[in-house]
Amino acid sequence: MLKIKNLHASVEDTKILKGLNLEVKNGEVHAIMGPNGSGKSTLASVIAGREDYDVTEGEINFQDKDLGELGPEERAREGIFLAFQYPVEIPGVSTTNFMKTAVNQIRESKGEKPLDAVAFLKLMKEKMKLVNIRQDLLSRSINDGFSGGEKKRNEIFQMAMLNPKLSILDETDSGLDIDALKIVSNGVNALKSNENATVVVTHYQRLLDYIVPDFVHVLMDGKIVKSGDKNLALELEERGYDWIKSEN
Amino acid sequence: MNITEDLKRFIDNENDSNSQKRKSDVIKSIEKSYSLQKEEYKYTPLLKKIEKKFNLLPENKEIVSQKSYSEIKKNIDSEFYILCVDGFYKPELSNIPPNISIKNYSELSDKEINLFEKIYQKYDDSKSDFFSSINSITHNDCLTISLDNNFISKDHISIINIIENYEVSNFRKMIFCDKSSEVSFFEQFIDLCQGESFSSSVTEIYLSENSKFNFYSAQDFKENYHYNSINTFQRRDSTSNFYTLSFSGSIVRNNLNICLNDKNCYANMYGFYAINEKSLVDNHTSVDHVDENSLSNEHYKGIMGGRSNGVFNGKIFVRKKAQKTNAFQANNNIILSDKAKVNTKPQLEIWADDVKCSHGCTVGQMDEDAIFYLMSRGISRKESISLLLSAFSSEIIDKIEDDKMKSAFTSLIKNQLEKFNDE
Ligand SMILES: Nc1ncnc2c1ncn2[C@@H]1O[C@H](COP(=O)(O)OP(=O)(O)OP(=O)(O)O)[C@@H](O)[C@H]1O
Ligand SMILES: [Mg+2]
Repeated sequence: MLKIKNLHASVEDTKILKGLNLEVKNGEVHAIMGPNGSGKSTLASVIAGREDYDVTEGEINFQDKDLGELGPEERAREGIFLAFQYPVEIPGVSTTNFMKTAVNQIRESKGEKPLDAVAFLKLMKEKMKLVNIRQDLLSRSINDGFSGGEKKRNEIFQMAMLNPKLSILDETDSGLDIDALKIVSNGVNALKSNENATVVVTHYQRLLDYIVPDFVHVLMDGKIVKSGDKNLALELEERGYDWIKSEN
Repeated sequence: MNITEDLKRFIDNENDSNSQKRKSDVIKSIEKSYSLQKEEYKYTPLLKKIEKKFNLLPENKEIVSQKSYSEIKKNIDSEFYILCVDGFYKPELSNIPPNISIKNYSELSDKEINLFEKIYQKYDDSKSDFFSSINSITHNDCLTISLDNNFISKDHISIINIIENYEVSNFRKMIFCDKSSEVSFFEQFIDLCQGESFSSSVTEIYLSENSKFNFYSAQDFKENYHYNSINTFQRRDSTSNFYTLSFSGSIVRNNLNICLNDKNCYANMYGFYAINEKSLVDNHTSVDHVDENSLSNEHYKGIMGGRSNGVFNGKIFVRKKAQKTNAFQANNNIILSDKAKVNTKPQLEIWADDVKCSHGCTVGQMDEDAIFYLMSRGISRKESISLLLSAFSSEIIDKIEDDKMKSAFTSLIKNQLEKFNDE
């Protein structure tokens, strides 16, 4: 589904990703771990198509298509979803209105008719239940004054609404209490199928008890320096990152 | 050629019954206001742009035509409306509510004259603004609107000003609200002129004790240069609410002056401007707290695209006697292109000591993080920007209490914002 080859990316002439390779297949869950500032969020943003980052070398293929020139909205329409590490607050636009616009623009791009009010409401209700999010939160301005946990839950709600093929969850677990973590993980697991894939970026093994990864990668200094199965996460939790540094 | 010289000649030649005293008063105010041009029109070269293009001292005659303006009337969303063409009130084309007296000044009874004489040219800003002083000598008849004691209208009354036959037209009106009356007006100018034109409009509003007054205006000109001056004089316990939308026009200058002359007065001034191309919109507001315990609240927001120019100047005066005054002012701007500009300036003069005042202005650009967030969900850049811009405007819309006007303003703004994109 996703093939990243020798990816180099920089922002304002600072090199952040320096030759990154990653392959994700249908039905898989990948975890990416790594020290602060190693480039995890940058990788997520580059896959989602943020224009501030220059891809200077390498390529990203998604479902055998080069993402190269596609803008963020086109990538979303192809089925890529990024749950932000820091969801943006947007006063004056309600999440409901936001999702209605998003769902219908995606449908339109596929030549489908927009959902009518009734169908949209039904979809909302169904997905709200999945992540246990309250209606009044969705009627409010996007993330405006939301608690840390509410913001993360809103990300997963949006993911459920858009039903993406590839979900990248950037530290969706941080700021969640244990109950919320379970709810969010259950939501993610419920949406999982053989047709889609998930990449979770996290610092904590805790999340991986709920969302069990097929692969764990360590990202350091702009590259994936080590990959393994879920036991690698346990090892990292115990030993930190220094031993990998010395290995390389 | 000098416009002030022309004006003096114009006044001298007037062979009506104007007394010498009045003439010399007018000349004085013209000279005074002309000398203030430089400061008060620092960013708005209105006079420079129009003085060579147009004869600012026209002698327009009312044009009697069979036109019914049915296209325009179809779009009026209120039952009652007042229609004026080229500055002439057209009673036969209007639908005026019962219990309100709407007449030309020249047709007032003696009793009514007594009332309006006290207002006519007493509260306008002709001493400080050159265009008001020109309007005061060039306008034709003056529309007068008076509301009785306790008169309350639920629906708003539309005022439709059509600019059609003359390059230069001058509108003038007075509104008198008697005690405990309550009314709303929605004023629009419709520009049917081919090519460039200049219009001026001066309004004097007198709010008696405990009256409540709402004034909505939507300005969407083509190549018109427009000068608008609204002057409100408030008595005890009265409330005024102003909502001003400005969308286009070569140059639009709005003066909104409110005098809170008594205790317990409220004044709210809200404005939204979204301008493009080479439009210039200038909102000059002033609120004068004369007596105790009054509140003024002002919020203007603007979006500038293309090569447009926004100007905001907000004056707040708090006189010595006006203790316990609350006066708030804010002006926020978004600039969408490198070539667009905005000049914003608060001006506070406070002589009382027990006062709560605040003011703040911001000038910013589109928030790229927010745009990326919206786009990452599949929304196009254009639609993302339009969502963010309408969110920006929603703070002003939310201030409108009347549902009908709220939805009217919402759809006007929505239409206008569709013309915007980042460049
Ligand atoms: N827009 C930017 N401008 C300048 N530097 C940036 C920008 N975005 C990221 N960086 C830098 O790139 C590096 C990688 O940042 P990134 O956010 O990808 O790290 P991360 O692995 O997600 O870290 P964390 O675990 O703290 O979330 C950091 O040094 C960061 O300061
Ligand atoms: Mg990060």
